[in-house]
Amino acid sequence: MAIEGADLVKAAGFLGAGLAMGLGAIGPGVGEGMAAAKACEAIGKNPKEAGLLTRTMLVGQAVSESTGIYSLVIALLLLFVV
Amino acid sequence: MDFDLQSWITIAAFAGGGLCMGLGAIGAAIGEGFTASQASTAISRNPSLSGDILKSMLMGQAIAESASIFALVVAMLLLFSNFSADTWLMVYVLISSGLCMGFGAIGAGVGAGFPAGAACKGLAHQPAAGSRLTTNMLIGSAVCQTPAIFALVTAFILLFTDFTGRPVSPTWAAIIGAGLASGLGAIGAGIGSGLAAESGCEGIARQPEAVSPVTNVMLLGQAVTQTTAIYGLLVSFILIFKIVPATEALAPAMALLGAGICMGLGAIGPGIGEGLTARDAVRWIARKEKAIADITRVMLVGQAVSESTGIYALVVALVLIFVV
Amino acid sequence: MQELGKIHQLIIPFFGHDLTFNLEVILMTWIVIFILIAFGILINLKKNILPGPFQVVGELLIKTFSDLAEESLGEELAKRYSPMICALFMFLLISNWLGILPHLEEPTKDLNTTLGLGLMGTFFIAHFEGIRVKGLKNYLKEYTEPFIPMIPLNIIGELANVVSISFRLFGNIMGGSIIILVVSFLVYSIALPPFLNIFFGLFVGTIQAFVFTMLTTVYISLKVR
Repeated sequence: MAIEGADLVKAAGFLGAGLAMGLGAIGPGVGEGMAAAKACEAIGKNPKEAGLLTRTMLVGQAVSESTGIYSLVIALLLLFVV
Repeated sequence: MDFDLQSWITIAAFAGGGLCMGLGAIGAAIGEGFTASQASTAISRNPSLSGDILKSMLMGQAIAESASIFALVVAMLLLFSNFSADTWLMVYVLISSGLCMGFGAIGAGVGAGFPAGAACKGLAHQPAAGSRLTTNMLIGSAVCQTPAIFALVTAFILLFTDFTGRPVSPTWAAIIGAGLASGLGAIGAGIGSGLAAESGCEGIARQPEAVSPVTNVMLLGQAVTQTTAIYGLLVSFILIFKIVPATEALAPAMALLGAGICMGLGAIGPGIGEGLTARDAVRWIARKEKAIADITRVMLVGQAVSESTGIYALVVALVLIFVV
Repeated sequence: MQELGKIHQLIIPFFGHDLTFNLEVILMTWIVIFILIAFGILINLKKNILPGPFQVVGELLIKTFSDLAEESLGEELAKRYSPMICALFMFLLISNWLGILPHLEEPTKDLNTTLGLGLMGTFFIAHFEGIRVKGLKNYLKEYTEPFIPMIPLNIIGELANVVSISFRLFGNIMGGSIIILVVSFLVYSIALPPFLNIFFGLFVGTIQAFVFTMLTTVYISLKVR
């Protein structure tokens, strides 16, 4: 099996894209879960503020998701640009 | 060092069986150890109930062990069946099914230890709720086994699918990728469902009247937690059954392998995160039953959002399989 | 196993492009729409102060979702969008349940359906309302937060919402139906498939319909405030 340079670059790109998105999904997943867990706790303590707490949770999750989105961007760049 | 196909297949079967049982033993050991530690604490707090607590501990450990028993079954199958095939793909199939079941048993083993521990501890606090606690523990830890069952299904499908006539070059990567997607993907969901079940048991011990809302929300949380494992299973099935054209190039093979790794790793984080959410939601429903509607809604929305990175992993995996 | 991934398509050439229609999905969507219209007519047939069975279900759905909408969107917007939110939920619910019946398939199994619904709620309505309520200047200013170089990433973040909401529904329904298909094939359709159908069709289908509806509401409300 003769492996050429261009083929090797593409292969590495594909594997790298998979690793980037796969590993990059771990942190935000756990982190957003923690945010949601604390939101559930807070609503349990103070059910009247459910609307405000939900919004706060979503904003916090959106921020902690940004690293996941960076991974997605890198993965797509590796797939289509490199 | 020139082996023929048959010796390679035997080597792969032994390697796969070893990996399967070795990896598969990790989870159950941790889970059962956790259960035993909780049971010891519980007995020291309430020595008069040591018999009940011991019974409950053994029951919980028996369930936590079932994922490892699946791994044992697959390992035995790999070690003692005579695999013979006329395709080199069999080598990869054997390794991949071993890896799949090995990784897949980790999460369920660790996860099922949590509810068993919480049930032992709860028994010491609230002996009157014993039967309800045991029922909830059994349900909760049985649901934790679902991801391990997904891995078992994938391992069996890999072993019994006929790969004769499929081109070796990119298919080997698809086979390894399929095993990793299901196997790694089961870790997060197993641990996460265990976390949800833990607080279910804890909540029932604290508030025995709240048993039905607690069990219902626990099951709901567990079901949502397991969606990422279902994505892993989906990617595995696609990888196994999609016929890819033969090619000598490395890139298509790496795309298929990358898809499997991406989905497998990507399912770990969201699984654990959603489990954490479900744990706190169930815990606070037990304490404040009136807020059940609000808490359940926030739990679902929070879980859905924390799943989104898992969905990005699914998207990248599908792009790797179908587009590039 | 051959039916895995087989789609009946109608391809019409149109000025050098091929327009592709997934006939089965269109048919199934029509069936869902028909069921919903029939349900609506049945509810309105006999309106009474002592509600009949259909009226109870209808009132319950509308009450639940208008309350949910009001809580997250506020009174004024809820009045405008709660009919859509309720309709979205009912459409998704019937769509996800449709696969239980033999020979019928879930329209939500097709990515085009879920992507269309995602674009409608999470993209067009959310951004339209964001511009309308906050004004174009404030709306655009949000993209430069926390600092100006983040603009491209903020835009990708917005698009990622649409991707995640539509792939979540698609992945769950498609995953469920593929698992049912493969397991039925493995056990020769003995005993297991009905339970899987109940789990994936009724249970997961209901949860995902609710999650999709809730997230659509939430994304609209995030843009408004």
